[in-house]
Amino acid sequence: MPLHPQTPNREDLHQTWSYLETGISKIMNDLQQGMDMKAYMGIYTAVHNFCTSQKAVNSSSTSLHHQGGVHRGAHLLGEDLYNNLIKYLSAHLADLKEQSGQYADEALLGFYIREWDRYTTAAKYINHLFRYLNRHWVKREMDEGKKNIYDVYTLHLVRWKIDLFDSVQKTVMEGVLKLVEKQRNGETIETAMVKSIVDSFVSLGLDENDSSKSTLEVYREYFEKPFLDKTNNYYQLESKQFVAENSVVEYMKKAETRLSEEEGRVHVYLHPDIMVPLMKTCQRVLIQEHKTLLHDEFQVLLNNDRQDDLKRMYNLLSRITDGLEPLRTKFEAHVRKAGLEAIEKVANENADDNLEPKVYVDALLEVHEKYSSLVKIAFKEDTEFVRSLDNACREFVNRNKVCKAASSKSPELLAKYADSLLKKSAKAAEEADLESKLDSIMTVFKYVEDKDVFQKFYSRMLAKRLVHATSASDDAETSMIGKLKDACGFEYTNKLQRMFQDMQISKDLNDSYKEWMNNTLDEESLKTAVDFSIQVLGTSFWPLTPPNTPFNIPQVITKTYDRFQTFYFQKHSGRKLNWLWHLCKGDVKATFAKSSKVPFTFHVSTYQMAILLMFNDATSYPYDNIEATTGLSKDYLDPSLGVFIKAKVLNIEPAGSKVGPGTTLTLNTDFKSKKIRVNLNMAVRAEQKQETEDTHKTIEEDRKLLMQSAIVRIMKSRKVLKHAVLVSETIAQIKTRFTPKVPDIKKCIDILLEKEYLERLDGERLGYLA
Amino acid sequence: MSTIKLLSSDNAELAVDKEVAERSILIKNMLEDVGGDMSDQAIPIPNVNEAVLRKVIEWCEHHKSDPPPPADEDSDSRKKSTDIEEWDQKFMQVDQEMLFEIILAANYLDIKPLLDVGCKTVANMIKGKSPEEIRKTFNIQNDFTPEEEDQIRRENEWAEE
Repeated sequence: MPLHPQTPNREDLHQTWSYLETGISKIMNDLQQGMDMKAYMGIYTAVHNFCTSQKAVNSSSTSLHHQGGVHRGAHLLGEDLYNNLIKYLSAHLADLKEQSGQYADEALLGFYIREWDRYTTAAKYINHLFRYLNRHWVKREMDEGKKNIYDVYTLHLVRWKIDLFDSVQKTVMEGVLKLVEKQRNGETIETAMVKSIVDSFVSLGLDENDSSKSTLEVYREYFEKPFLDKTNNYYQLESKQFVAENSVVEYMKKAETRLSEEEGRVHVYLHPDIMVPLMKTCQRVLIQEHKTLLHDEFQVLLNNDRQDDLKRMYNLLSRITDGLEPLRTKFEAHVRKAGLEAIEKVANENADDNLEPKVYVDALLEVHEKYSSLVKIAFKEDTEFVRSLDNACREFVNRNKVCKAASSKSPELLAKYADSLLKKSAKAAEEADLESKLDSIMTVFKYVEDKDVFQKFYSRMLAKRLVHATSASDDAETSMIGKLKDACGFEYTNKLQRMFQDMQISKDLNDSYKEWMNNTLDEESLKTAVDFSIQVLGTSFWPLTPPNTPFNIPQVITKTYDRFQTFYFQKHSGRKLNWLWHLCKGDVKATFAKSSKVPFTFHVSTYQMAILLMFNDATSYPYDNIEATTGLSKDYLDPSLGVFIKAKVLNIEPAGSKVGPGTTLTLNTDFKSKKIRVNLNMAVRAEQKQETEDTHKTIEEDRKLLMQSAIVRIMKSRKVLKHAVLVSETIAQIKTRFTPKVPDIKKCIDILLEKEYLERLDGERLGYLA
Repeated sequence: MSTIKLLSSDNAELAVDKEVAERSILIKNMLEDVGGDMSDQAIPIPNVNEAVLRKVIEWCEHHKSDPPPPADEDSDSRKKSTDIEEWDQKFMQVDQEMLFEIILAANYLDIKPLLDVGCKTVANMIKGKSPEEIRKTFNIQNDFTPEEEDQIRRENEWAEE
């Protein structure tokens, strides 16, 4: 046996080709029997030798290279081999085409795949064996721009497409579609078959301009298109039937399952390229065509809190364009209605005056909480749904049954609720708990339109907490102010922060006052000095008004009063001190009671103190006498006395009569109390109500000022502006605090015209006067 | 590392590392395609004799760990430069017949970098020489008629400067 393969005469085309054909045939039909190296090297060498033979045996191709007897570079041999290969492949494929006639459906798929695999494997071998042809002759032809010349592997694909695929693809595809339908009907199929077909179709897509690249054109035309058509028809029929026989909720489940099945199908055996069009097709048939049905079901699901089904519906409708819009509208209306109903319920259960801020705020929060968690869980925190929720909340927070009774009731109640949380009380909340409650206040606050009302009430109540030292925790106060600052900016909380600063400054002031006294007073005066502390508060930051009653300062504290003024004016000349007697308080030791050896300590207001001190000199006074000595007006005197009578510190004569002129008040030496310390400094209810009304009144005033200053600011920078533009810019500036009414703005403009800040120009325009 | 055997046209068996032999795309493809256990069988190389095959293997040994050539076959660097690295220059210092044998073998065995080095060597031999000198170098007979020569000169005048 020779060691080397017998190769044909390199110059004889006929002999060479017949040698090659035998080898190719073997590769094409009997490759599973293996191929030895000798045969392999023989074929390669035969191709090489033929292409490098010196003698131009066949003149058909080479004649082109001889022009005018001048050599135009080396000519390359190979065209004959290439053409013979084409002939061979065409014959092979014609044979396959004929064989394919005996098969149908799955059997045809099996045949196609088997032959495809065999053919492409052989193509890879032949491509290697003809590599010399590829490297030289094919390359040259392609470099010269010849069309329809391919490397040997691609040539195999091209011939397959022309000589076999074009005639069998339709029946093959029918087989594929039948198979997929079986699977959609629940049968198990051999998915690998479909995958092989897909791969084959994809491989056949060749770029006309660059055969080394592939395109999906063939696959899209012959696989994707019929596949999508079939899918469309299948689900159109199925969904119509299903909807007729089942509930909408059941249908949604079905659609969900079908969609995920199709998605899985792509991953398992389809080309990833089909994902988008396939999903589009399914979504159109399964969702788009049934969307009215789904939209109609939405309200039912909302009414019944069907969170899972709502989520399902959201997911389905979010897949199609404009699927969610009707849901959003319905959702917003639903939340608004739920909020209004919740408030109506608490309003009906509690009389207007008795409505606890906590009950009100909790009712608001409950609705918000419920639907914001629905948005989170079912609607994936979709920004559009969040906006709908916000719109609805803003509506029912600002315009509900409670608000109708008195405008800006919401911010008032909210501020009161905050006060109840921040005030010292028996049931003080845990720190973490408190923090989360403050956060929930901010949740409602976000929706409040009249933020200035909240600010007003909040600062009043903060002032009280600070002045009366009833704040539960500095940390909580600071944290709350921080939250407000985050929400509304520095300006909004500026005064609140200044109030805190004043408290700190006052602390230091008291210390230095004590030091001053120690340095200036003699021992005797020090001994008799009243134990005293003071808070000096900046008028412009504190929402406090001076007392509206005259008051004669009792003898006992005048010295202290004078002393402190001296001290303070030394320190800050040119400042003015207003004494807010109605906010002052003191402790008085009472030794008159016979029941106790230990003297009682009465915790009283300064006004009450003035009254009690009178009883050091006598045990009984007529009302007029007390009125004259203290100088207090009836509004303050009567309630103060009332507290004493109620606590049985004083007795009134005639007994049981109303405090007023003509009565006499006598010290009750039989006074009894379980506690040594008695708090007699109780705020009077009428006073509180008055205060709320005052607050609302000042808000109106403040708003006018706020609008005016905004108008002036705008005009100062713009100089000349049309009336309508000025109004809308003013609204834009003020909106964060409250929603101004246009007539109010117009009124403010008129005021400013009168005050000659502005002037009227022609054509509806206004000018700024410096 | 596995070793394979090559059989030259004059029936000499040469053992060579598989990795080295696979610098030849022909051998690489064949081993891939035929596969299986072929270690005891020599691969017939019917177009290359022992002397040339040894030279080729020597080159492959030296270049066995070269990075693969750039994917773009016609990359400018390969076309333009006639630079040959020092080792390759020495390697190519052989008689003309051997030089052409190496080039033919590289072409047959599909070892592109070696083919390039061979062609560059020949190009360098031509560079700067007159037609007469080139004819002398390669022992070529002038088979042009004077008229033909004249025509070629005229056609290529532009390149003379």
